[in-house]
Amino acid sequence: MHNLPQTVIQESRVEQQTIDTFAREANRIVGSDQVSANPADLLANSRDYWPVNNIWMIEGRVPALPQLVVWPGNTEEISALLKLATKLKVPVTPYGEGSGTLGGAIPIKGGVSLDLKRMNHLLEIDEESLMVRVESGLNGALYEELLNHAGYTGGHFPQSLRCSSIGGWLACRAAGQFSTRYGKIEDIAVSLEAVLPDGTIFSGRSVPRTATGPRLDHLLIGSEGIFGVITSATLRIWPLPEKRHLISYTFADLKGALECIRLIMRTGARPAVVRLYDAQETGNHFPELGDQRCALILLIEGTAKIIAAEAEVIDDLAIASGAVDCGPEHVEHWLEKRFNISVASMLFQKGAVLDTIEVSTNWHNAHSTYLAMQKSLLAVEGTMLASGHYSHVYPDGAGLYMTVVGFPGSDKLAFYKRIWQAAMEACLAQGAAISHHHGIGLHRGQWMHEEHGSGLSVLKKIKKALDPENIMNPGKLGLEEGKLWQK
Amino acid sequence: MAEVNMEQLLNCALCPNMCRCDCPVLQALGHEKVAPAGKARFAAMHQQDHLELSNEIIEAIANCLGCRGCTVLCPFPELNLCDELLYARTPDSVDQSGQLPAWEPYLANLKKYGSPYGQKPPFGGKSSRGSDVLYFVGCTALANHPESVAVIGKLLQQAGVNYQLIDEDCCGYPAETWGDPNLAHSLAAENIRKFVECGAKKLVTCCPECWLIFTERYKKWGFELPLEIVAAPAYFLGLVKEGLLKPAAIEQTKLSYHDPCIWARTAKLTKEPRQLLESIPGITIEEPLFSGELTHCCGGGRMFQLSFPKTAEEIAKRRLSEFTVGAGIVTACPFCREGLSQENNARIIDLLELLANACCS
Ligand SMILES: Cc1cc2nc3c(=O)[nH]c(=O)nc-3n(C[C@H](O)[C@H](O)[C@H](O)COP(=O)(O)OP(=O)(O)OC[C@H]3O[C@@H](n4cnc5c(N)ncnc54)[C@H](O)[C@@H]3O)c2cc1C
Ligand code: SF4
Ligand code: SF4
Repeated sequence: MHNLPQTVIQESRVEQQTIDTFAREANRIVGSDQVSANPADLLANSRDYWPVNNIWMIEGRVPALPQLVVWPGNTEEISALLKLATKLKVPVTPYGEGSGTLGGAIPIKGGVSLDLKRMNHLLEIDEESLMVRVESGLNGALYEELLNHAGYTGGHFPQSLRCSSIGGWLACRAAGQFSTRYGKIEDIAVSLEAVLPDGTIFSGRSVPRTATGPRLDHLLIGSEGIFGVITSATLRIWPLPEKRHLISYTFADLKGALECIRLIMRTGARPAVVRLYDAQETGNHFPELGDQRCALILLIEGTAKIIAAEAEVIDDLAIASGAVDCGPEHVEHWLEKRFNISVASMLFQKGAVLDTIEVSTNWHNAHSTYLAMQKSLLAVEGTMLASGHYSHVYPDGAGLYMTVVGFPGSDKLAFYKRIWQAAMEACLAQGAAISHHHGIGLHRGQWMHEEHGSGLSVLKKIKKALDPENIMNPGKLGLEEGKLWQK
Repeated sequence: MAEVNMEQLLNCALCPNMCRCDCPVLQALGHEKVAPAGKARFAAMHQQDHLELSNEIIEAIANCLGCRGCTVLCPFPELNLCDELLYARTPDSVDQSGQLPAWEPYLANLKKYGSPYGQKPPFGGKSSRGSDVLYFVGCTALANHPESVAVIGKLLQQAGVNYQLIDEDCCGYPAETWGDPNLAHSLAAENIRKFVECGAKKLVTCCPECWLIFTERYKKWGFELPLEIVAAPAYFLGLVKEGLLKPAAIEQTKLSYHDPCIWARTAKLTKEPRQLLESIPGITIEEPLFSGELTHCCGGGRMFQLSFPKTAEEIAKRRLSEFTVGAGIVTACPFCREGLSQENNARIIDLLELLANACCS
């Protein structure tokens, strides 16, 4: 048995003497209770919810260990810590709630795991302008509860609501299940406060819009910790909806259903939830609907009169598309089960390899991307299931979310790499974008060049300008060739 | 020794911590090592011989209040994380260490005095030997609020209930919590002997932890309970409903109720304490941010106030922030009473003492 398990993709570590110096200074900045080299802390902050971590955990291994965990309590402390890290060239990996699915929070170069969870306060609610200022370490579900208690909603419900933080949402450009009405996190964010590697604290203005040059604070949205640390944000909120209307339909095929959704989006109707499942997922999630047709579930909420009008517009288009009205109960079922992912734990225990791969499509390739990704995934030996649904829709396209499960036998990692390669190749060949909302992290960095082309060098230049010592979450977002984790 | 249910423990270790928002220890500390699935990962890795049970790891796994906040929305109905964590860190044999140095004095007290707090204070109140009702006080109420025994005695007398007190021993839960199941079993055996000897038919307790251990553990430990175990809030509500207690109006009118986790989630007693409160004329209840089954622990579960006093205090502070500032908070558990009293801006009132005030003055 071991005091600390073996690491698998630890690229490097900082010299112990430097870490000791950092720890001494950090003790002064945040207090000794909030700086730790305790093996339990190092182990806890070694991973996120990238599925590969679960495979390694079962084998008794971890991806990579930080050398210190530090829990700052406020923005000034973070500023002092980042200045120190830049001076000593110590890598800093921000850590929210570790629900990221691509290894973004893994400290592959050791150094410090900067855990934001102590910064968990809702600072103020502006009921007149419908905004709230909140610290980045607050848990999503607690945030929503606090707002509900005051009569509001934050409108952001990722499936990971209960296990992710506000800072993580912003850092990963997250999208919630009610996004068609309330927008994605970048639409919900009014402004951010952040700290750069040189210790600069800056924030954007909390006004509806500015034309005062590029929104520098918004540069941090989707930056996954490579530019700096998001410390707080001003987010839009909404009064709790007066009413909810639930409807579901089934369609003969996915293509017809997608066309119907496209037409709905053209009318200006904005249901909060629009989820279209392929026949296989329809059978899995709603067995009573069978596995031959595709289920569409919709949830409209807001003011009663507006809802009634939206429901009518939607129903007219759905019926004209040949859909069958299946009533509200399937939506109720979804609402009840939407945070239940127990099947993942059970599959991992049975030796399965599984993942979800979400990409972004326009209407012209929404269906073909699904077909292409499904075909490539099924062609990988060991794949048992490759199904899909669309869960975020826009006037210009839809987010496609593929689920893949396989039983590859012994070489699980090789299989994992093969399914991703197959999925990403098919996605890129169809002209879709490689991620809709999970982000890049460590694993998806391999396809960043194909995704961005010359844009990647722009990202690198910005990174170099803001973080010349490359201390912030090094090795992520595809800015460096992975040394121990490649295709 | 209790067996770990490896399948359930692994279900949790492989979960993305879907209940982290419900875990008071994590929310108060903000340290990932005490996240529910984080603790399960340590426990699972240890069980599979991948991780040594060092003091640091024991401490992380033991950072659990047994509050079962994590079970409310957990998708695995058979998983009782707090117990799996406890069993996973409990040594298989006496020569293995599973105890932290900080727990040693309490374990020594338990061995010597039958209470983790040391010498038990003398009982107040009247005891009629041979009565059908045994009032079981519990070590925590006895150590921190010995006067409560007399108050509750008065209430029982007012209702015309003959009751008895015994020279009780600790229920055994603290010993189990501190990694000494053998001691837990011997305390349980001693209690069972005294229960049989006293001849009571019904044991009424206001300590949710004692209630939990009597109802859940004793059977598992192989003991046959010779009497019925009744939770005090339910028992006293019964007396009110039967008309044996007749509460009159008191000074307070608006109060909040803090649901003790075991009463709310395991005993499913959320309505009864509220009905008891509402039986006092003129009382209205103001609910905190989280209540009923969704209550948040006060920080006192599983002897946390002794094991991890600083964290317990933080947890209490967080829980208090979920109530209206300055509210009168009623609770029905000696740990909650103690834990929440740490903040001086809140007035913590014991449910039964409030009832006594309404019935006996
Ligand atoms: C079951 C499940 C369901 C999910 N469902 C959704 C979904 O519906 N929609 C969706 O968008 N995502 C979803 N995700 C992905 C994930 O939850 C999100 O990416 C989430 O936003 C991550 O938040 P976190 O606090 O857990 O971040 P972490 O995993 O801790 O970190 C993610 C990345 O952000 C960086 N980071 C974290 N906090 C900060 C900060 N304050 N400043 C700078 N960088 C920071 C980290 O360094 C890391 O690179 C899901 C994940 C799981 C496990
Ligand atoms: S207790 Fe249940 S919900 Fe919580 S982490 Fe474990 S499996 Fe997930
Ligand atoms: S029982 Fe309570 S303290 Fe223990 S893991 Fe569950 S929620 Fe946390």
